[in-house]
Amino acid sequence: MDFTLSAEQQMIRDMCREFAEAEIKPRAEEMDRGAAFPYDLIHKMADLGLLGLPFPEEFGGAGADFLSYCIALEEIGRGDASVGITMEAHTSLGATPFFLYGTEEQKHEYLVPLARGEQLWAFGLTEPGAGSDSGGTQTHAELRGGAWHINGAKNFITNAGTEMTGGVTITAVTGMQADGHKEITNLIVPKGTPGYIIGNAYHKMGWRASDTRPLSFEDCRVPEGNVLGRRGDGFRQFMHILDLGRVAIGALSVGLAQAAFDEARTYAGERQQFGKPIATFQAIQFKLADMAMEIELARLMYYKAAWLHMQGQPFTKEASMAKLFASETAKRAADQAVQIHGGYGFMDEYPVSRFWRNVKVHEIGEGTSEVQRAIIAKHL
Amino acid sequence: MNIVACIKETPSTTAEKSFGPDMRLERRKEDAIPNPFDEYTIEEALRQQEKHAGSTVTILCMGPATATDTLRKALAMGGDRAVLVSDSALAGSDAIGTARVLAAALQKIGFDLALFGSAAADAYGGVVPSATAEFLGLPLLSYASKLDLSGDSTARIQRAAEIGYNEAEAPLPALVSVVKSINEPRYPSMKGIMASKKKPLDTFSLADLGLDPSSVGGAAARERAISSEKVSTQRKGEMYQGNEGAADRVVAFLIEQKVL
Repeated sequence: MDFTLSAEQQMIRDMCREFAEAEIKPRAEEMDRGAAFPYDLIHKMADLGLLGLPFPEEFGGAGADFLSYCIALEEIGRGDASVGITMEAHTSLGATPFFLYGTEEQKHEYLVPLARGEQLWAFGLTEPGAGSDSGGTQTHAELRGGAWHINGAKNFITNAGTEMTGGVTITAVTGMQADGHKEITNLIVPKGTPGYIIGNAYHKMGWRASDTRPLSFEDCRVPEGNVLGRRGDGFRQFMHILDLGRVAIGALSVGLAQAAFDEARTYAGERQQFGKPIATFQAIQFKLADMAMEIELARLMYYKAAWLHMQGQPFTKEASMAKLFASETAKRAADQAVQIHGGYGFMDEYPVSRFWRNVKVHEIGEGTSEVQRAIIAKHL
Repeated sequence: MNIVACIKETPSTTAEKSFGPDMRLERRKEDAIPNPFDEYTIEEALRQQEKHAGSTVTILCMGPATATDTLRKALAMGGDRAVLVSDSALAGSDAIGTARVLAAALQKIGFDLALFGSAAADAYGGVVPSATAEFLGLPLLSYASKLDLSGDSTARIQRAAEIGYNEAEAPLPALVSVVKSINEPRYPSMKGIMASKKKPLDTFSLADLGLDPSSVGGAAARERAISSEKVSTQRKGEMYQGNEGAADRVVAFLIEQKVL
């Protein structure tokens, strides 16, 4: 067993840490307040190859391994969770499905500009009546005259409405299977397709500088060939995509937890009460010790889940464990960071209040904590 | 055009420093980074390469065998190849010994333009560029805040002066040392990082350079460290508290300091 990161993994971590510290962190407050999507920052990240990390160079990616990508996400998320989720949703949910299931033509047409970061892409699974219960999917598509006619709605879709978004891949019911279950197919819908309507951006509690939209499809037609992979493979595809996404959300959560710890530790060393820094009080030391311990454990868990995937071994249970433990660790860390800051923590002048708002969705997005527990239980 | 960026491996500026009984800085592999000043050296080499099609950039470093990691980090920013000069006889070299080695290495590599940082963040000697130029019998344009190569024959620099700047030029091949204001170093790209391990990295020994071990290293060093002391960072501050007259006293203090 060897816990040493490779030279490339270390360099990617160091570079992302430096980039986040210099380019992202100083703007996080302003981006949060204005709920403004940071196009210039995303373009810079694209130029540095951060939007196509785990894809081979022949498809415009950097050719890094999956763990490198997760480590990069941790560091970017440490700078700002909104920028982190933009990178995660684009890479894990937008681009990865093309890489895993796209035909050669689809990879060249869609994956290459995504891996280069010239475009963003969204994945539409959640619906008003179907989140984790994907069996409740209502959006349906009918094949008529060589085209899929799509009708339905999706919501909470990240990256769907930015100026640089190329389109969305959606799950749609395309028929019934012999076993009585719905046949789910993933369909590629480029932005600008008539009948594909992108709603206004949501007003959100956290992740405010990321783009999240409701989508609707009104007799939206795409060519028959816009099926991702094979017809009827949608369920199997997105289950695997979500497993991978959960490891990434785990990494992103560790980044947020680490940012909360960094602020809390610095503040505890500066804040004087009863004539000495509050970091000298055991009550504060124990909080910091618990935060540091849980962050280390959460990091090890996402490393392990990523490693299992890279070894070609099953990792569904571990992916859920990584996501669940890291997001709940981040929640506790953000909460304790506010507590250590006292009244100042409740004010917006310190970043910890933003962490506290941002962290909630880490327990919800890409499968709630309850769903993660259900998945873990199923694998026991 | 052959461009060589000469860099040094230094301990991280934030790392805890300690000295051995011989007053040599104890260098730990885990604290090692490319000299922060040399990020500008590498960046300038890459910018000149971009301006002059067909140019090659070689990163040159004298250091311990483990400095290959530092060279890989430099190669992640860009450049075509790296050369490490490493030999156990080099331990304890002073600036003159280092310059002797770099001059020999530059001669062996062959170059039109050799770039240096203005100093290294560990010893701050700032002697190596000029001493290297002396050994090579070539011109040095020092402390450049701007560098232009006209054609393949002349280097022209600007050097900040008290008022405005000086201009200087020299025929190539020449050596140029750069200051921080010359450019903004790039971040290594993800592709650059992934490509860094595939780039050629050669190691030269003293024998490869045809240098006599007794002319370098601790034995030949004329410069000797005698003692070291930790710099006290405690600053004297004055604090005026309360509402009564504190603002007036702050204003009086600023006037006294000629700030206002």
